[in-house]
Amino acid sequence: MTAVLEAQGLGRTLSGEPPIRLVNDVSFAVERGTFTTIIGPSGCGKSSLLYLLGLIDRPTIGKLLLEGNDVAGLDGDARAQLRLEHFGFVFQFHFLLPEFSALENVVLPIRRLGRLDGAAIEQRGIDLLKSVGLDEKASKTPDRMSGGERQRVAIARALANDPMLVLGDEPTGNLDSQNSARVVKLLKALAHEQGRAVICVTHDLEIAAEADVRISMLDGRIIDVART
Amino acid sequence: MIERLPLLLGIALRHISRRRRQTVVAVSGVAVGVGFFLAVSAMMIGSQNDFIKTLIDAAPHIIISDELRSPPKQPGFRVFRNGVVVLRNYKVRNEVRGLKDWPAIMRAANDEPGAIASPSLSGAVTLHLSGREEALSIIGIDPEIETRVSTIEDKLRVGRLHDLETVQSGVIIGEEMAQRLGVGMGDIVSATSGAGTTRSLRIVGLFKRGQSQLGATSGYVLLREAQSLLGRPFIINRIGVKLADPYRAQEVSRRLEGRFGYKAESWEERSADFLSLLVTRNVIMYSVVSAILLVASFGIYTVVSNSVADKRRDIAIMRSMGFSEGDLQLIFVAEGIVLALVGVLFGWALGYGLMEILGSLKFPIAGEDKYLPLDRGARQYAIAASASLFAGVIAAWLPARKSSRVDPVDILRGAV
Repeated sequence: MTAVLEAQGLGRTLSGEPPIRLVNDVSFAVERGTFTTIIGPSGCGKSSLLYLLGLIDRPTIGKLLLEGNDVAGLDGDARAQLRLEHFGFVFQFHFLLPEFSALENVVLPIRRLGRLDGAAIEQRGIDLLKSVGLDEKASKTPDRMSGGERQRVAIARALANDPMLVLGDEPTGNLDSQNSARVVKLLKALAHEQGRAVICVTHDLEIAAEADVRISMLDGRIIDVART
Repeated sequence: MIERLPLLLGIALRHISRRRRQTVVAVSGVAVGVGFFLAVSAMMIGSQNDFIKTLIDAAPHIIISDELRSPPKQPGFRVFRNGVVVLRNYKVRNEVRGLKDWPAIMRAANDEPGAIASPSLSGAVTLHLSGREEALSIIGIDPEIETRVSTIEDKLRVGRLHDLETVQSGVIIGEEMAQRLGVGMGDIVSATSGAGTTRSLRIVGLFKRGQSQLGATSGYVLLREAQSLLGRPFIINRIGVKLADPYRAQEVSRRLEGRFGYKAESWEERSADFLSLLVTRNVIMYSVVSAILLVASFGIYTVVSNSVADKRRDIAIMRSMGFSEGDLQLIFVAEGIVLALVGVLFGWALGYGLMEILGSLKFPIAGEDKYLPLDRGARQYAIAASASLFAGVIAAWLPARKSSRVDPVDILRGAV
């Protein structure tokens, strides 16, 4: 299989006295259709690595290849455009914009990309909400939805521009077990049924057990890569 | 970029609509600033225009008098300009007063497009009546031409300039002078000039009180009457010129003075001190009003600054979605522009209302009801809007820059 995203000697060091190495010499590849989890103790650099992979943070060393092209050194606008087109993010907190309805939140990245017209945007938003079972809550604002519903809306938003990579930072961290299982099922489906590459940082070993690839980290380094 | 504007503007509007109280305060600040700017500038510019119109209309646009800016040079100096002997303290030749070859000057002045030149002779006389004496500066005019050159006719309480032609030895004096002498319309007073000539003059018109530009001690007679009374037949010492465009007065007066040598004063030169006062007044007005608009923009700064601070989480999530730094700055600048725009619209309405109130106020001056002269031109509305929008953009842009400095990693990780 072709690697959609590949880290080569990736590192992130915070300047200071002494400098802090958040991520140190990380190399691995992520393929389409796989559900990958990154696990490790708190402060081991899991989330830092995820933000480097998602082009939210910038590595201080190493290469990051997106479909074979090194994107580590791109400027802010180019990285923003890549995030818009190829990445979807789901965080521990839903981070929905409180002034907007569920549908408006979902279609925000589509409107920003500007490739669809008004009616098509709305239809795409409804379809995405339907895929997470929330099409009936399209007009509800986040404050009138449960935690699980908000997180599913956030997943729908992450899929807005049909990204090839979906990155999750503790996406079930704030959910009860029932909602947590539902979200994991959704994420697995994104990988296995839709052919996307899904990478999730998690503390939850039960979720990690569901993954196709489990990356274990310690002190900013990858210490183990297990495949099922 | 343009296709993204509706989206970014929509986000900005949502932010504003959620902060109603702050929005109302910021919009009110701009509206009050714009409203008072319009009201104050309408009064200031209205009174200035009225004042300048009075200056322009009170007297001819150019007055050519029998004075010279500098005394004529001695023949020896003119011939030996760079001679080895320097002449100092020589006696200046006394020129005979009166404009020489004045018909040629009149022709030259009348040749200017739309110009009318009016000849006159002025001099001092003393009025006598029943043992009382009053000094009067008489101006001999041709009423037919003078009515086309100046607005004296409008300043008459009773009588007309043409009455100087129909009534023998007629004179028009001010109401104050008539009161001091105890005379009225049709009464006869005796006038004696410096040349020793005495004439009986009949009052055929009275100026209104308070016409300072005419002078309380001025009086009008027929030109030939003045020439006879002052003992200067066929002589005039002043030509008043009215131009179609008063703002060409400076240029035309310079040309006439250059050609004939006599002092030709434009209305601008005569009123230079007043005009410089107006400049100072305008500087003060625009400084004060700019300060009001600046203070109004602080409200916008506060709203946008708070918005940026409160929306750090939203900024971070939008960055992760793929919104660029420029997009986020535009959202917050758009908030400032929207606040300023709404403020300007309310300010225009407030300013219009204030002008209506000011325009309806009556002030009794010298027995007549006067209204405040107001300038309601679109220019002031445009200045107020431009200044407010500019201030709004700057006030929003300063905090908006902070939005691009928000580090999404810190916020997304810590859920700050």
